[in-house]
Amino acid sequence: MTDRPEPYEEEYRIALLRERLARGGQAELGVRVERRGGGVLLTGTVPNATRREEILDLARDTLPGLTVRTEVALAGRDAPDHGEELP
Amino acid sequence: MTLLGPDRTGRPVVRVAAVGDIHLGEDCAGLLRPAFETLPGCADLLLLAGDLTRHGTAAEARVVAAEVASIGVPVVAVLGNHDHHADEPEEVVRVLRDAGVRVLEGESTVLPVAGHKVGVAGVKGFCGGFVGRSAGEFGEPEMKAFVRTARRSADRLAGALAELEAHGCAVRIALTHFSPVPDTLAGEPPEIYPFLGSYLLAEAIDAQGADLAVHGHAHLGTEHGMTAGGVRVRNVAQPVIDHAFALYRLPLDGRSAHPSEASAPAPVPARYGLG
Ligand SMILES: [Fe+2]
Ligand SMILES: [Fe+2]
Repeated sequence: MTDRPEPYEEEYRIALLRERLARGGQAELGVRVERRGGGVLLTGTVPNATRREEILDLARDTLPGLTVRTEVALAGRDAPDHGEELP
Repeated sequence: MTLLGPDRTGRPVVRVAAVGDIHLGEDCAGLLRPAFETLPGCADLLLLAGDLTRHGTAAEARVVAAEVASIGVPVVAVLGNHDHHADEPEEVVRVLRDAGVRVLEGESTVLPVAGHKVGVAGVKGFCGGFVGRSAGEFGEPEMKAFVRTARRSADRLAGALAELEAHGCAVRIALTHFSPVPDTLAGEPPEIYPFLGSYLLAEAIDAQGADLAVHGHAHLGTEHGMTAGGVRVRNVAQPVIDHAFALYRLPLDGRSAHPSEASAPAPVPARYGLG
């Protein structure tokens, strides 16, 4: 189904996406869902690109007809080049 | 300032590497290993602040174990809530312990560093909220069980910290997954703070004393905080530090460490002269 949902239905669908992300453990990864303009914006940080794809797929599946934009970053995995002195 | 070179003050120090919330799935093998292999050159120990796996399965724990196995520095860990999701935390613990990781749940461990003792007291911790905005032990059994879980967890942390004091550790570190303070949650929606930590952990830390408290869990939070009693708190969730680990250097001659008689921590009301 690709029909745009009724505006009130959008709210519940976005809530459903948040719940699905929570159940899959992605919500706690810091992935946030916000309404932006006529669509939704996903932000946050995940360990790898596969995880990012999963989240995008889940969002498209849950929110048919809505524009889904993502700004999901990958967590830095380099050793630090400095530290903190705690005297 | 770099910590990778020698300490110019000449004082004995411990270099602590720490990270939490690496959330490794079965498809993440080798992700952090290259960075972890640099640890012997820059750190004396590695702390893992929970949420090491994605769903808490033994298969995911094996991925974590392979990342840190024979890494050249001692590895001390607590589990996080994700590591409990598959309902087999004892399997996760077993796999990690088989790889040499010291997994703590209400326990402590003491490591020798430069002729001094460095102690780590660890517990997963739990939710409940912070002073003035916390859940109370009242009403339905589910609610009481929720609050009691947080309280028991804090009591276990207090007990483990008391062991470090008894050992005369030069540096005492409290390692948790949930946050003891709201400071390091800045960036998270305030409405979910009660799910991110409990002030009971900070109360235990302040009552027993510690030189550093390290936690994870708050992916959108910030790195720096402090307990009411002045203990420095660091949120090392990987998305927060945006590296494979964070590095902290603490002096080993900062406090006059002398072993004391092991004594059980006083129950909270007694600390304030009540009941
Ligand atoms: Fe996490
Ligand atoms: Fe967590």
